[in-house]
Amino acid sequence: MRDIWLIAKREYLEQIRGKAFKVTTILIPVIFIAIFGVIALAGKNSGVGKHIAVATADPSLAARIRDLLIADKDAKMTVDVVAPATDANRMELLTKVDQKQIDGFLWLEAPAGGQVKATFASRSSGDFATEGRVTSAVNHALVEQRLAARGIPSAEVESLTERLEIDTVQVKNGKETASNAMNTFWAAYVMAFLLSFTVVMYGMNVGRSVIQEKTSRIFEVMLSVVRPEDMLAGKLIGIGAVGLTQLAIWGGAGALFAGSAMASRIMAGGIKLEVSAAQMVLFCLYFVLGYALYSTLFAGLASTCDTEQELQQYAPLAAVPIWLSFGMITFIVSNPNSVWSVAISMFPPCAPITMFLRMASQFPPTWQIALSLGLMALSVYIILWLSSRIYRVGILMYGKRATLPEMLRWLRYS
Amino acid sequence: MFGLLGPNGSGKTSTIRMMIGITMPDSGTVSLFGKPFTRESLKRVGYLPEERGLYKKMKVMDQLVFMGELRGLDPAVAGRRAHDWCERMQILEAIDKKTEELSKGMQQKIQFIATLLHDPELVIMDEPFSGLDPVNATLLQDTLIELKKAGKAILFSTHRMDQVEKLCDAICLIDRGHPVLQGGMREVKSRYERNQLLMNFEGDNSFLQHPAIASYKNYGGQAEIQLKPGANAQELLHEAIPKATITKFELVEPSLEEIFIRTVGEKVDA
Repeated sequence: MRDIWLIAKREYLEQIRGKAFKVTTILIPVIFIAIFGVIALAGKNSGVGKHIAVATADPSLAARIRDLLIADKDAKMTVDVVAPATDANRMELLTKVDQKQIDGFLWLEAPAGGQVKATFASRSSGDFATEGRVTSAVNHALVEQRLAARGIPSAEVESLTERLEIDTVQVKNGKETASNAMNTFWAAYVMAFLLSFTVVMYGMNVGRSVIQEKTSRIFEVMLSVVRPEDMLAGKLIGIGAVGLTQLAIWGGAGALFAGSAMASRIMAGGIKLEVSAAQMVLFCLYFVLGYALYSTLFAGLASTCDTEQELQQYAPLAAVPIWLSFGMITFIVSNPNSVWSVAISMFPPCAPITMFLRMASQFPPTWQIALSLGLMALSVYIILWLSSRIYRVGILMYGKRATLPEMLRWLRYS
Repeated sequence: MFGLLGPNGSGKTSTIRMMIGITMPDSGTVSLFGKPFTRESLKRVGYLPEERGLYKKMKVMDQLVFMGELRGLDPAVAGRRAHDWCERMQILEAIDKKTEELSKGMQQKIQFIATLLHDPELVIMDEPFSGLDPVNATLLQDTLIELKKAGKAILFSTHRMDQVEKLCDAICLIDRGHPVLQGGMREVKSRYERNQLLMNFEGDNSFLQHPAIASYKNYGGQAEIQLKPGANAQELLHEAIPKATITKFELVEPSLEEIFIRTVGEKVDA
């Protein structure tokens, strides 16, 4: 036990004092904030400041649509009216779009009593925000016009066509609680994201550390004093503690930032993260188990390799579960309780990420969380058993990378 | 001091690894200090493997204290001893440097210190002289002699017969995992006939045709003579005295190197 503690302490201190720890501690949150900032900014600015034209035969309809579009202050749209429009105007508008004088134009054919046909022509086909605004304005203006045509006074038209915003509430323990759907969504989402790379980063870290000890030929010196199992255990505990330290620093810094006046100004009306105590505990549990799973796997594999390049060839073993988890993101978030979502959140390599993605939309039943944690613990136990056996032999083998039959033979030793 | 000898691939390293519990023997048992092997007894052993390394990013002092602690030393004691040893090995200026900043020779010294820091009763070194520059080789040799004087048991494996001959009290020569020659150094050597003769002489050299001589090289007044097995050198001397003035007549015992080559060679032939 003393040996494990000494090895863990050495590993912990070496990594904490190392440059890599300091760099990642600072750099990763910076990258994180940058990515989220860019996403938030891009979301805010998409479809902003567009210059479009509204072309239709009816000047009053065109004017109404323009008013509705300009009324949306966030969009900062410039709207030209071409009415009454002719086919010659259409050709002219097409040229203008082509020459980038305007971003697009709405071509609206609304013959009295006939079929209405609206086309929005623009250079970019992916500007959903502008499309949405135009669609909404056209529909609103047409409904107003039709109601007015049936003799309803314009004052009433306003109240009849008023848009309604939907409030969302979440049902917890049979009670409605105030809506914080977006906040819990973002919190769980960020946690899933954090887990995805910290678990793998520290898992690979253990693998690299094994390779370094192997290339520095330190193993045989150590093995004359400590058991290989103790070396492995000490290393796993030491590096795991480094991971928890880094997460604690980020968590602490995040909490300080959230509490500061600057944050409340920046975050006002923007994204807020709400983390419950249960999520905090689960985050730590999933980190520890996920880390244990990947690190034991990579410790075993690394012991069979001679160089980091050889170890890199095993990287897909970590990357594939992450791609799989994030590939299912939309499905899981919209169907958190479907069979597939539940199944993948039980699958140990994917569990840490997918369980938090499920939490993003709905907190899973306790038994499912317990089962997924149990399955993870079981798989850690099995991988540890296999890895420690391979490790014991592998660390003393130099030269070529071990093949699968060789590794199977090592399992039978002792 | 005990020398474990053998050609490449004869099983020296494998034998040593079994002695200190890194690998388990398929058959047979290992006894340490007269008792069946336990990991606890390893705290009384200092082991320097052939494949030896240090933690590159660690400072020398931290590294030595860590190694000492693993072998059961109190950190303060380990630190004090590390300081003394570094002084003795003249690397005191390196004590606060990271290992990766040091020269290879300095790293080798630190490896010796790490092996000896906990004052082991038994020192086991696998090819300790391989890769050493002459200065460090002499330093190690002197250190080993001092340890021997201090009553420590030392076992090392090597290819270098000159060192074994100089240092060891007993040897074991193994080949393909089996001991082929073992015992005290004098006793082993005495098993081999002294049938090489060095002579310096002036005068008639016709005695070189004596039937006891298997072959000879004559350098004009200096002859290296190989006697036939069982030949009596005294008879040759009697024959030579009337013909020439003998200034040197020396029966040379075979060097360990010759014994090594002869023993291992015989096995290969068999």
